[in-house]
Formats: sequence, C-alpha cells, structure tokens
Amino acid sequence: MQLIIDSLPLLWRGLIVTFQLASLTLLFTAFISLFVGIASVSRFWTLRALAVIYVEFFRDIPLVVNLLFVYFGAPLVGLALDPFSAALVSFTSWGSANGAEIIRGGFNALAKHQRESAQALGLRSWETMFLVLLPQIVLPILPAFTGLFSLLIQATSLATLVGATEFLRSAKIIVERQTMMTGESPAFMVFGFVLCVYFVICYSLNLFTAWLERRIVTARTVHRHAPQEIASTHETQVNPENT
Amino acid sequence: MSYEFSFPYIWGATPDLFQGLWMTLLVSLVSIAISVVLGTVCACLRLFKVPVLSQIATAYVHFMRSTPLLVQLYFIFYGLASLGLGLGGFWSGVLALSLWGGAYNTENVRGGLAAVPKGLQEAALSLGLRPALYLRLVALPIGLRVCIPAMLNTSVSVLKNSSYLQAIGVAELTFVAMNRVAMDFRTLEMFLAIGLIYLTIVLLLSAAVRRLEAVLQAPFRTA
Repeated sequence: MQLIIDSLPLLWRGLIVTFQLASLTLLFTAFISLFVGIASVSRFWTLRALAVIYVEFFRDIPLVVNLLFVYFGAPLVGLALDPFSAALVSFTSWGSANGAEIIRGGFNALAKHQRESAQALGLRSWETMFLVLLPQIVLPILPAFTGLFSLLIQATSLATLVGATEFLRSAKIIVERQTMMTGESPAFMVFGFVLCVYFVICYSLNLFTAWLERRIVTARTVHRHAPQEIASTHETQVNPENT
Repeated sequence: MSYEFSFPYIWGATPDLFQGLWMTLLVSLVSIAISVVLGTVCACLRLFKVPVLSQIATAYVHFMRSTPLLVQLYFIFYGLASLGLGLGGFWSGVLALSLWGGAYNTENVRGGLAAVPKGLQEAALSLGLRPALYLRLVALPIGLRVCIPAMLNTSVSVLKNSSYLQAIGVAELTFVAMNRVAMDFRTLEMFLAIGLIYLTIVLLLSAAVRRLEAVLQAPFRTA
C-alpha cells in the first residue's frame, strides 16, 4: 500500500497521458467517422463500398496487430512515429471504423421521408445532409459516442505494448523497479489498483452513457410519439467487445 | 535505404506461422468453450435471481466490461505469480480470455433467455417443473437458439483478442510474427501475412454467423 501511495505522482502522470491519448483519439475519431459515416450512406456505390472496406478492415484486424503494424511499419515509409503518435494513429483508425458504424446506424434510424421530403423541397444533396439529416442524428448517437470514449480509454492501455508511458505502463515500471530493488514483486497490489482505477473511470462513463440513453429516449417519446424510432436507436450502439 | 518486398520470405515463414496459428486457435477454442459455459451459468443465476450469486454475476459482468483486457491479463499473469500462484502464459491467457468472454456471453444468454415468452415459464412452473428442468427442457433450447449468433460474435472477438497474449509471451500468431520481425526486420511481409490470416478467419466466421442467423430464424419466420 505504501508503495502505491509513494508512486502516486508517477501513476498520476500516466493517467494524464492516458486521458490525453483517449481524448485526442476521440477528437480525430469524430472527424473521420463523420466522413466515413456520410460516405456509407452516399448515393454513389463506390463511396459506399470504400466505407464498407474501411470499416470492415479496421474492425476485423485485431487492434494489437494494428498498433504493432503502425509502430513498426511506419519507419519503412520514412515516418518514425514515437509511441504516442503511433498509438494515436492506430486507435483513431480503429475508433473511426466503429464511429462510422454508429453514424451509419444513426442515419438508418431516421425516418426515410426526411431525406425524401428534403429532396422534394428541392434542397441540394449537401443541404439535405448538413441542414436536415445530420442535425437530427447528433442527439441519438451521443450515448453511443460516450460509450466509444469508454472503450477508447480501455484501448489506450494497449499503448503500453509499444512503450508509451500511459497509466498501465507507469504501473508496470513501478512493479519492475520494485521487483529489482526488493526481489519481491508487488504485481498483485499494483495491477489490482490499476484495475480498480480503470473500473471507476469506465464504469462511471458507462453509467453516464446509460443515463444519457434513457434521457434521450424519454425526450423523444414525449416530443414525437414515435415508438418505432425509439426501438431503432438501439442499433446505433457500438458493439463494445470489438477490439 | 530501400525496402524490397519479398514473397519468398513469407513462404519460408509459413511453418512458423502455422505453428502460431495453431496456438491462436487452441487458446481461442479452449477459452470460447469455457466462456460459453460460464456465460450460460451466470445468465441462469441472474434469470432466477439466486440470492448473492446473481449479484456476484452482475458485478462480474460490469467489472469485466469496464476494465481493459490487457490489465486483466497482467493482473492474472504477473499478479497471481507474485502471490506464488503462477499459472504460466498459456493458462493465464485462457483464464483472462474466458473470464472476459464469459462476461459478454452472460449478457448474450441473458438476452436469449429474455426472448423466451414469460407465459412459457409460468406454464412450465405451474405444471410442476422444477426450475432446473424448466431451464433444460424449455428455456435453454429456445434461448440459446436466439443468442447463438451473438455468442459467435463474442467468440470471434475472443479469437481476435487472443493476440493480446503476445504481451505475456504466448507463442501465438502475433507473437510469432513479431519475433520474426525482431530477427529479420521483414515487417511488411509478416504483417501482411498475419493481417490476411486474421482477416480471412474473421470474415469467414462472420459470414458463417450471418448464414446461421438466417437458418436459425427460419422457424420464426411467418410465411
């Protein structure tokens, strides 16, 4: 216990790196998944096909392999990425594939007549997209994105594998240092503590997600009386096991 | 410095890769089997609201879903070893993957059991079936059928996540590839090879799941 208290500053620095990595990833993820998500409901089949390939590729390759490939493969094209940037690139590609699925689900959950009415009114396709459809899906997909943020925080622990000093790696350094100095490994305590910290953070985020989901569903019931739309919001949830 | 892609290198590495693939499949299959059993048991505990045990099952599911798999793996591999209960790489990996998959399978089976009409349960229990018999004869045959696609998706995730095991030195596919990269610096070749292998397995399994889903839905389809 004393060991954990003594190493709190180091762990805290690691936790901050974890948050930086997760937040930056979420930021880029939001942008890219918007593009890919819009492409996946495009009129042009080439765009739709590209979106499907992007999504399937990054979701089906294990994230570990993705990360190792980015980190060890980047120097071959003349880009030496430091561990943090490699992790950022890799997690963004994975996260945006999941995010694109969320956005596609959001579009599919919209009533079909929204697009048809907009076209009948003579709106151009970008106007239909950005003035009619997109504003309507922002709220329904919000819970899925907070859920994705929780997954990203969990995914950042993988950055340990390429040597980014985030939360888990700080803990590992502490364990190794202590083992070297005293000959006894404090792994059980330290990793147990790490598990608890992740649990507190991600569980609160998951509770927040569930709360948001209930709030948004009730808001929609009150205003729209459209039960079939509520049922379909569940499709927008990201499959949380897909790492 | 120019990098020349070499197909013969991949060819030469195939025996190693197959050995890694074998380990990946072995770890995954064992973990999937355990996680299905674990998930079914936990879901049944929750269905009948068995005191204490069902709360433990709920807490377990929340805990596994809110913590990163890699930390769970380190905790099991290094943590248990530090208490003198070392399991070795293979069994640590199996334990971590089984517990992780079990949590998701609990939710899958719970979803399946929830699809069994409440009336069936009332009818069965009022006919004097004991809960265990009701589960075996009524709820599980219907419920499992409904949740098999979800369970297979979880199994695919377990298989993908077996790549985490390279972090604790289990010689599965990713580990084998990384090992060769470290020796020969044939990064692109190795990643192309394992990327294709993972992609093929996952895509084949996903296609199989979609087919199975259609087959399983057949009795419920109204003509």
